[in-house]
Parts: sequence; C-alpha cells; structure tokens
Amino acid sequence: MTEAREILRTEGLWKRYGRITAVADMNLRVYEREVFSFLGPNGSGKSTTVGMILGLVRPTLGHAYVFGDDMQTHPWPALKKVGAVIESPAFYPYLSGSDNLRVIAMALGDIPKTRIEEMLELVGLRERGRDAYKTYSLGMKQRLGIASTLLRDPDLIILDEPTNGLDPAGTREVRELIPNLARQGHAVFLCSHLLHEVQTVSDRVAIVKKGRMVAQGTVEELLGRGQYLRIRAADNDALAAALGGVPFVTGVERIDGYVRAEAPTAKAAELNQALSTLGVYVSELSPWEVELESKFLELTNDEEEEVAR
Amino acid sequence: MTMSRLIAVEFFKLRKRMMTWLVTAVLVALVILLYSILWNVSGRAGGFRDAGRFVTYQSLRRSLFLSAGVPIALNVCAAFGTLLAIILAAGAAGGEYAWGTVRLMATASSGRLRLISARLIVVGGLVAGGVLLAVAVALAYSAIITAVNGGASWDFLTAGWLKDQFLSYLRTVFVMAPYVALAFAAATIGRSTLAGVGAGIGVAFLEPLISGLMRLGGPPWHGIPSYLISANRNIILLQNHLPPGVPSFGGPDARDAASGSVHSVEASSIILAAWIVGFIAVAFAVYRRRDITAGGGA
Repeated sequence: MTEAREILRTEGLWKRYGRITAVADMNLRVYEREVFSFLGPNGSGKSTTVGMILGLVRPTLGHAYVFGDDMQTHPWPALKKVGAVIESPAFYPYLSGSDNLRVIAMALGDIPKTRIEEMLELVGLRERGRDAYKTYSLGMKQRLGIASTLLRDPDLIILDEPTNGLDPAGTREVRELIPNLARQGHAVFLCSHLLHEVQTVSDRVAIVKKGRMVAQGTVEELLGRGQYLRIRAADNDALAAALGGVPFVTGVERIDGYVRAEAPTAKAAELNQALSTLGVYVSELSPWEVELESKFLELTNDEEEEVAR
Repeated sequence: MTMSRLIAVEFFKLRKRMMTWLVTAVLVALVILLYSILWNVSGRAGGFRDAGRFVTYQSLRRSLFLSAGVPIALNVCAAFGTLLAIILAAGAAGGEYAWGTVRLMATASSGRLRLISARLIVVGGLVAGGVLLAVAVALAYSAIITAVNGGASWDFLTAGWLKDQFLSYLRTVFVMAPYVALAFAAATIGRSTLAGVGAGIGVAFLEPLISGLMRLGGPPWHGIPSYLISANRNIILLQNHLPPGVPSFGGPDARDAASGSVHSVEASSIILAAWIVGFIAVAFAVYRRRDITAGGGA
C-alpha cells in the first residue's frame, strides 16, 4: 500500500493581534483523499488558521504549505487547486448565482461554461441559477458556496460550517457529499460544530482551544476506541479492586454506575475469565463507546478544566 | 493574459451593477439639464456680467452651438462628474468589503496586486468612458440647438479644433483622477464604500474652503494651497477655454484662485500626478500587506 501524499502542512503557525494570541504553534497535516475535521469552540482560531492556510492572513510566525507551496510567498499555484468557503458564503448580491460562478470561473480561467451549469445542477440550484443571489435563502447560499468550491475541481476543499442554514434533507445531502468527494480524490478540510456529522464523515480530527491544538488523530485514536471496556457487576467496588490485579488492565475509573477499564477490547473474553477466577462475576461487559461530542467538550470545556485543577 | 482576465472580471462586475448605470444616467441627465437651462435662458434679450465681462444672451446661445459642445460637457464632468466618479471608485473598492467578496476574489485571482490593478484600470476606464459619453450627449444636444437656431456650419471642424477638444478631454480626465484615486484608496484602506465617498467628496468640497482660509492666514499657510489638488485642478481646467457666460461649477473662486496661483500648467500637472501616484501607492501597499479576514480585515 502506497503512503498518502501530504497536501497541506502547517509548521509552528502563530498569529498574534497585539497582545492577543489567536493561533499558537499550530501544526497540521492533511493528506490526499481524506476528510480532515478541524474543530473548536467559537473564537478558538479556526478561521484565522484557515486564513493563514489560504494566504489571506499573514502568520506572525511559522509557515503554511499547500501542495508544497509556501502560502505567504507563493500561494497562487496552490490556490488554483483549492476550493474554499470560509465562515459563510460571500457572493455579489446583485449578480445571479450563475453569474457569481461565472465571475470565479473568469478569474480562475480555463473553466468551461458548461461546468457552471453542472455545478448548479449538482447542488440543486439549476432552477434558481438566473435569480439574484440576494434573493437566495441561507441554505441556497450554502449550496452556491459548495458549488463555487467545486467549480475548479480542486484537490483540496475547505468547508467552514457547510451545513449552516440547511434543512435536514440538505444537511443529509452535504453529509453524504463529503465522503463522496474524498472517494473522488479530493481532500476535504472541514470546520464544523455539528460533531455527530463530523464523527460519521471524518478520517482524522484536530481539536483546537484558544488557538492551541489540544488533540489530533484519527477518530478512532481520539475516542480511544478499542482501548476501553465498560463493565458492571453486582459489587462494583470488588470489581474495581479485582481489575487492579489483572496485568493487561492499565487503568480503572468509576463512571456513572459503571467501571471503565483501560484494556484492549479484543481481550474482553480473557478479562471476563480472569475476573471470574478472582470471584467477580460481571453483569455487563462491552466496548466503551465515546461520542466525539463528549470528547470535544472534555477537551475544550474550561469549567471542567477548572474543576479538575 | 492573467491581467486581461481580471480586467474582464472587474468590468463584468461593474457592468452588471446598478450603481454604474445610475451614475451614468445622472451624468447624462446633468448634461441635458444644463443644456436645457442654458438654451432657455439664452432666449432672453439683453445680457449679463460674467467674470467682469458683459455677455449678451445671444452670444450665450451661440456658445451652445456644436462648436462649443465639448467644453461645456467637460465642464459638467469636471464638477459633477468628479463627484459621480468618486462614488463609482469608492463603490468598486468598498463594495467588496461590505459583501465579504474580498476573500472570494483574493483566493480566485492570481495575485492581490494584479487584482487591485485590474479594478483600478476598469474604474479609470469607466470614468474616461463616462466623460466621453457626456461629450457625446452634449454634442447631440448642441446639434439640435444648432439646427433649430439655423447656425448649422461645419467650418469649425478643423484639425486644430479636434486637437484642442482632445486635449481638453485629456485634461478633464486628468483633473478628475486625483479624486478618483483618493476615493479608491480611502475605500480600500477604510474597507468601506462610505470611507471612499466621504474622503473623496469631503476633499472635493472642503479643500477649496480650507485653501481660502490658508491664503488668508499669511506665512507659512498661504503657500500650501498651491500644492493641494483644487488650485492645480483649476489651473489645468482653465486651459479648456469654457465659453463666456457658461457657469464654470469650479467653486465660487475657481478662476480667481487659479489666476492668482504661482504654478505653471506643467508644474500643476506634476503636482496632481504626484497626488495620484501617492494615493494609488498607499492603496496598493495596504492591500498587499493586509490580512483579509471576516468583514474585510483584521
């Protein structure tokens, strides 16, 4: 199996506005054909980071490379291969959807007119393509934003909250579109607050808080899948004590009436046998499933951090 | 190739924009209005005093004939056209920030400097085209007045006359340019149309007033106005030879101020060119270096 090509890399990216640090030491990697999600609360530096990746915002320190090009000194070859909607779609209100795409196509060059119609069709705006953008609903604006990113058939697509304003059907379409884009060979850099969606479509995730990265990895790694077991017994105190004596259990924690054992889920049967040998009979034993939302809140919630201190 | 593409994009955007058509319509309407008023007034008997000279209404009527159509149209453009050009330039630069499309264009075009250059070229082209349109409308109206009053004659149409009109056209576009450059720069730096319109119109209206105060102020103040835009604009515009009796719209003391100036036409041209280059250079420097974030800037 060949190693996936790296298409985006940031190295020690910092952005300071006076005494405020918006982004601190951001190191990201995005590979071809993957869906990479970039998560963080409002004001955590996501859009500033994306701005630096696109060469719109000048880093205080560090570099962003897209397709090997430094985005501060030589961004234009890379930008031709990047489609992006940052924060919210922004187009000329007096132009039609079709004319807005035409403006982008003209600026980029080498995009046939038929491509504009194809993109409008793809996002379900063919019927309204001749109407002024200012008459569009938020959902339609989002769709046009997605169409504009795909217009240049980019290798890297950056989508910031792409389901904002979409109805459930539209949200589902976008959710299905994102992994399809990755399958078609595009890399997708996704910023979203809808963590359930992110969890279902992402290959890798980075979580930022106050401009700093607090976690990065595959969804599996981040959620610790395959590393925790959820166990319950008639006497959880005895269970917890017994787990402490099992060699491959590296940690024990009591959570919501259960005992969470840090142990490979593949060794569940072996653990059950070991516990019964020690005279503890479990009533429930299953892999400990963590939702991305819980992990996100755990990593980004200041209050919890304060309590922990 | 890239530049021509970006110029086509900027032209397409401005061509589709209502504001462009609105300022064009206002300019055409102003030329028509001025001609209609002067045609009506020049039908009276007798005369009036203008800049110390007695002008008969009959000679004013002759000034409206085809041979004088160009200076009158250029006179309207230099005054009201400048205000409209300020609105156009500020709207072209500032609108991108209001709509957030500044990011869209910055990532779709191949270079910030190319993008802002293309925009400025298109604004300049539209201003020059608008002045030409005003001249065309004035000539059409003049042709009607000439025909109605039996003054039809093409004797004036000589190579010398054509050269004079062409130079007058160039002079008019040139004196409008500092205000256009200022509005464009202010809208770019202030990230809004309002900043551009405010700076452009503010300078157009307030500079002559402040210059008047400076002249009264004695040394070192009294020498400063001759290096500002308004006084040098008036010196250059005087070369257009507006027919007697036609209002100049150059401010209450336009001709007087110009006649009292120490600069030659060449020196005034250099001073105005320096202002134009200065405004554009600042706009380019800011646009090239600045972060482009939500709402246009950080």
